[in-house]
Amino acid sequence: MSALRRLDAPTGLRPGDHVCWTFADAADFTATVLPFLEEGRRLGEHLLLVGASRPELLSALAPLPGRDELLASGQLEVRSTAEVYASGGQPSPAEQVTAYRSLVDAALARGRTGVRVAADVTPLVRGGVDGRRQLHVYEQLADALMGTVAMTALCLYEASLGAEVLGPVTLLHPDQHSGEEEPLAHLSGRGPSLSLHGEVDVTQADGLSRALVDVACGTPGEVVLDLSDLRFLDVAGARALARATQVLRGADVHLRLVRAPRVAARCLGLFGLHGEETVPA
Amino acid sequence: MSRVSPTGDWDGRSFAHEAFAFSADQELVDRVVPFAVEGLSRGEPVLVVAGERVRTLLTQELGADVRRLATFAAAETWWQGGHRTLHAYDRDLRALQAVAPTWRLAAEPTWLARDDGREWSRFEAVANRCYASLPYYSLCLHDRQRLPASVLDAVARTHPLTWGGSAPVPEPAYEDPQQFIRSVHPAWVPRPARASVAVLTTPREARRAVSAAALGWWPARVGDVVQAAHELVVNSLRVAAFAEVSSWTDGDTLVVEVADSGPGLPDETLGYVPPPGGPDGAGGMWLAWSLADDAAVDSHPAGTAIRLFFHR
Repeated sequence: MSALRRLDAPTGLRPGDHVCWTFADAADFTATVLPFLEEGRRLGEHLLLVGASRPELLSALAPLPGRDELLASGQLEVRSTAEVYASGGQPSPAEQVTAYRSLVDAALARGRTGVRVAADVTPLVRGGVDGRRQLHVYEQLADALMGTVAMTALCLYEASLGAEVLGPVTLLHPDQHSGEEEPLAHLSGRGPSLSLHGEVDVTQADGLSRALVDVACGTPGEVVLDLSDLRFLDVAGARALARATQVLRGADVHLRLVRAPRVAARCLGLFGLHGEETVPA
Repeated sequence: MSRVSPTGDWDGRSFAHEAFAFSADQELVDRVVPFAVEGLSRGEPVLVVAGERVRTLLTQELGADVRRLATFAAAETWWQGGHRTLHAYDRDLRALQAVAPTWRLAAEPTWLARDDGREWSRFEAVANRCYASLPYYSLCLHDRQRLPASVLDAVARTHPLTWGGSAPVPEPAYEDPQQFIRSVHPAWVPRPARASVAVLTTPREARRAVSAAALGWWPARVGDVVQAAHELVVNSLRVAAFAEVSSWTDGDTLVVEVADSGPGLPDETLGYVPPPGGPDGAGGMWLAWSLADDAAVDSHPAGTAIRLFFHR
């Protein structure tokens, strides 16, 4: 399981890394994906660049060394967001993740060392509340996938989307780059249960509540959230967990918080929640 | 002998809060037995939580009626510090409220005799405000043989009613809860020049700054100090663009001050009001107050400063 970290450059990445990267404009986008893909080329990975418009992506890639050879050999694919995420109607998040798994298998079979994807996910956010719910489910499943296969992903989001949209999305990535902001928390699906890592305070409370509800509400029954790697939880964060618990109950999902550190248990107790099997940290 | 009216003109719809101090056994019996009997006759849940002396006397006097009490419990094991004790009590009250339209309680906070139990008077004071709409009569029993004069003085200042001999009457020494809280908080002395001061715009920065200060003082309490200061900073940043966080040590005590230029704190008693409930930020104040060993507030229209004291 990779630890939560702030990424200052889109390089130094290895399979399993799943980055949320906010960019300001087209120039920033290009400046980010070029070194990312170049590193993948050197590592012998299959490269996939996804964005709103294929022609624009191709011109953005002009400075990439050996771009045309990479395209010709099939090591580099450039596809539009619509093509990848919405071809043949509305593929479910699970189907999309399955497609990525197949892509990794195929790349390995062809002798590549893995798959490296840079995707401008901004268009998917524009699908309203339902679209965003699907996106949260997808990002969580994709993150879990990346914990198990040779895949590296750079998810790019326009900074202008704002905190309300970016809050839940950012939390679903272990590697984060959001301007000067220090990443605080990761809601992970890697491992036997959902788990929350880092620090959850008032600044992520709303995002956490939304992300958690969206990723858990599709699985009626019990959903376990492991809190043992939580280093800080404040009252607002505990309130967000309480709110998510309540909303999920309405969807017949019983969210069970386990292994809460002592400091987190104190805040949870204010809302009548328990982090059973409390760990001493 | 005039006719006794154990709850006076209390109509059962709001909170009545009486302190009754007793010396002789008979004094206690004459006050509590009619109080309990009246409640039973009205069909109200009657709860008694008291020390051994009171329980023994009531068992003798009430006879079989003891079994009709909704609760008859020992107070000795209740104390777990002010905030925890009140939080547990609060949960019991809310549960009772869900099933009973009105009830009455005779309670003896025996822990007032302990040094670490005296802070309970603060919660008694604030209860007058935060429980004002709860439909119960709380008859608080105090044993003059066990409690020092200073505690009995605080009891009078925090209970609006006292016993007049045949009915409850207003307690002349009763004070407004906020005034009482101010009087028992540490005096507001000027911040010493040696204090380290940081101006912050995010709670995360505040956690880093306070953590550094607390680590140099007593690593074992860093978690408490950081969490408490964080909640105050969050509240400051709700009303102001930045918060000024300073800290210093005074002997074995670490003082953390969080100041802002917001509109002032509308209610200085929130640190003693159990959550959930209250406005946004009230839960954070409760938590900060419960983690610290003491607190003080300096609030005025040009801003608020709150100090938390941690004893080593």
